[in-house]
Amino acid sequence: MFGKKKKMNTQDQVVLSEQHDSDYVLEVSDLVVHYELENETVEAVNGISLRLKKGETIGLVGETGAGKSSTALAILNMVPDPPGVIKQGTILVNGHDMLHLKREELEKVRGKDISIIFQDPMTSLNPVMTVGDQIAESVMLHEPVNKAEAMERAKEMLELVGIPGERAGEYPHQFSGGMKQRVVIAIALSCNPKCLLADEPTTALDVTIQAQVLDMMNDLKNRLGTSLVMITHDLGVIAAICDTVAVMYAGKIVEYGTLEDIFNHTMHPYTEGLFNSLPRINQKGSKLIPIPGLMPDPTKLPVGCAFEPRCKYATAACREKPVENRQVSDTHTVLCCAYEDPDFMLDRRRKVTDE
Amino acid sequence: MIRYIIKRLLYLIPVILCVSFLVFALMDLTPGSIVDSMIPSDATPEMKQAILEQYDMDKPMLYRYAKYMYHFVQGDLGKSDISGESILNMYLTRLPNTLLLAVTSLFIAALLAIPMGIRAARHAGTLTDTLTTVVTLIGMSMPAFWLGLILLFIFSFQLRWFPAGGNMGFVSYILPSVCNGLNMMAGTTRQTRSAMLEVLNADFLRTARAKGVPERRVIWKHALGNAMIPILTTLGGNLSTAMAGSVVIESVFAWPGVGRLTAEAIMSRDTKLACGAVIMTTILYVVMMLLIDLAYAFVDPRIKARYVRAKKVRRRAVS
Repeated sequence: MFGKKKKMNTQDQVVLSEQHDSDYVLEVSDLVVHYELENETVEAVNGISLRLKKGETIGLVGETGAGKSSTALAILNMVPDPPGVIKQGTILVNGHDMLHLKREELEKVRGKDISIIFQDPMTSLNPVMTVGDQIAESVMLHEPVNKAEAMERAKEMLELVGIPGERAGEYPHQFSGGMKQRVVIAIALSCNPKCLLADEPTTALDVTIQAQVLDMMNDLKNRLGTSLVMITHDLGVIAAICDTVAVMYAGKIVEYGTLEDIFNHTMHPYTEGLFNSLPRINQKGSKLIPIPGLMPDPTKLPVGCAFEPRCKYATAACREKPVENRQVSDTHTVLCCAYEDPDFMLDRRRKVTDE
Repeated sequence: MIRYIIKRLLYLIPVILCVSFLVFALMDLTPGSIVDSMIPSDATPEMKQAILEQYDMDKPMLYRYAKYMYHFVQGDLGKSDISGESILNMYLTRLPNTLLLAVTSLFIAALLAIPMGIRAARHAGTLTDTLTTVVTLIGMSMPAFWLGLILLFIFSFQLRWFPAGGNMGFVSYILPSVCNGLNMMAGTTRQTRSAMLEVLNADFLRTARAKGVPERRVIWKHALGNAMIPILTTLGGNLSTAMAGSVVIESVFAWPGVGRLTAEAIMSRDTKLACGAVIMTTILYVVMMLLIDLAYAFVDPRIKARYVRAKKVRRRAVS
C-alpha cells in the first residue's frame, strides 16, 4: 500500500522544490479563521500575516483565546470543519499552497515539509501503538524505506530526543509526561521538516521538565536547521529561543518585531501589560501588575481597537475607527492608534529613558 | 495470566451446579414426565412400578439430581433416556453445525456493522446517521423467528433459491446466517458508532493527521484500533450466544444444531439429555467469554500491562 505512494512522493518533492525559490519557508498572509456556530460566529483569527526564513524562530505570544492555536491548525489546513472555516488568506509552506492542495497532496506535505507538536503530550500519542511504530509510521509515509529501516530511523530519533532506542517497542502509557513530549517531538522531527510548529509544547509539563524540553528543542532546531513557530504565553520561553516575536490579541498581531524590538523597544500597550504581569526576581517586593479585564468576546469584536477597554492609554478615537498597522522600523510594526500622536510613549519606555 | 485463566475456569463449578440444578428442578416442576408415554394404559400397577423404578421416577428429584451429578463429576454425561445414545456423542455431532453457523453469522454482522457504525459516527447528526439508526432499530426490534419466517417465505418458498431447512452444505448456511447476522449487526452497529464517536475527537488522531497519515488509515487503524474494546465485547457476546445455539433460529430453519437438540430434549421430557446439553453449552459459553477477555489484552496494551502488573505486585507481596 505504501510502495506506490512513496515513489510519487519523492518525485513530487523534486518538482516542488525546484519550483520553490522563495527565501521563506512559511508565508502566511491575511489569514482569517472563523468558527461558524449555529447562532454566532467566533472570529478567532482576523487577518494575520507571518513570514519565516529557513532556520529562523518566530514566537507567537498571547493569552488564551488570542487565536494562536487556530493559526497553527490553519497553517496545516487542519482547522476542524465544521465549525471552523478559513475565510481568506494564503498559506505557503515551502512553496505549497496549503489552502488549495488536494487532500492527498496535503497529506504529503504534512509531516514532511511541516509538522506540529501539540500542547498535551498525554493525549497526543495513540495508546495502542508502540512509540516506535508511531515514529516509523511517519517515516514510512514520507520516505522510500521499508519497515525495518523506518524502525531503525525511529530508534535514532528516540536517541536524538534523549530516550534509549530500546524503548521503541514500548507503549505511551509506559512513559512519563516529559518523555511523551519527547516522543511527540521525535515524531514531528522524524522526516526533517522544513518548518516545525510548536503549540505550547511545554505548558502541560512541570517546570523542571519544561527547561529540559526547551533546551532540547533549541538544540535540535540548530542542528537540523528547522524553522520554528513557537506558540506560547510564556515570555520567558520567547526570550530563550525566538528571533522574531508576534504578539497576538483577539485574533490579530498587535506587535511584530525582532526579539530586541519587542523586549527593549516595546510599543504596544498590551505587550507592556504582558511584561508588567511577569514576576521580577531582582526587584523584591514589587507587585505584579495584571492587565485588568478580559479578552473581548470573540463573537462580538468591536470595530475599533479590541484592546481599548483594557488599555490605560485608550482615547475615544481608539473605539471608533479600525486601527491601522504602523511600520515603526524595518522589522517592527505595531497595531495601535496612540502613535498618531508623535510624542506618545509607553510608561515602560519612559522609565527606561528616564533611567 | 495463567492464574487468571485458572480462576475464571474455577468459577465454572458453581455455575454448572446452579445451571444443572435449575434444569432438573424446572423439568421436574413441569407436569408430565418421561415415563408417561411409556406406561401403557392397561398396565398393571406392578408394571407401572417397574417402569417408574427403572427411571428412578419413584424417588425424589434430589435423588435423581445427585445420581446424575455423581456420574457427571466422573466425566460421564450418561445416555439419553429416549434413544439410548451417549449424550456427549449426540452433542458433539450437532456442535459443528452450530459453531459454523455462529461464525458465518458473526462475519455477516461484523462486515456490515463496523463500516456502518464508523460511517454513522463520522457523519453524526446527518441523514446518514439517522438512516443508520433507523436500520439498526429495525434490526433490533425484528424478532429472529419472524425475520426467519419472512426470509424462508420469500427466498425458499417463493423464489426457491435456498433450501427451507436442514444442513445441505453451503447454500443452507445463507438464510440462517443472514437472519442471525442481521440481529447481531444491529447492536454491533450501535456499539461501533458510540465507541467511534468517543475516539474521533481524540488528540492522537490530530497527531496522526498532522504527520500526514491518509484519512482512511487514520480512521481504520488509529481510531478503530482504539474503539475495538467495546466492539469486541458486543461481537464476542453475540458469538458466544450464537455458539451456544439459538433455539429459535435453529427451530425455524430446522437446523441440526445444539440449540435444537436442547429444545427437542425438553419437549420429549428427556431430563438427562436436556441437562447434559445445557451443561456443555454453559462450559462453551464461559470459555468463549474468557477467550474474549483475553483478546482484550492483545487489542489494548494497557490491559495486558495490568495483568503483568498484578502478577508483579503479587510476587512482591509474597517475598
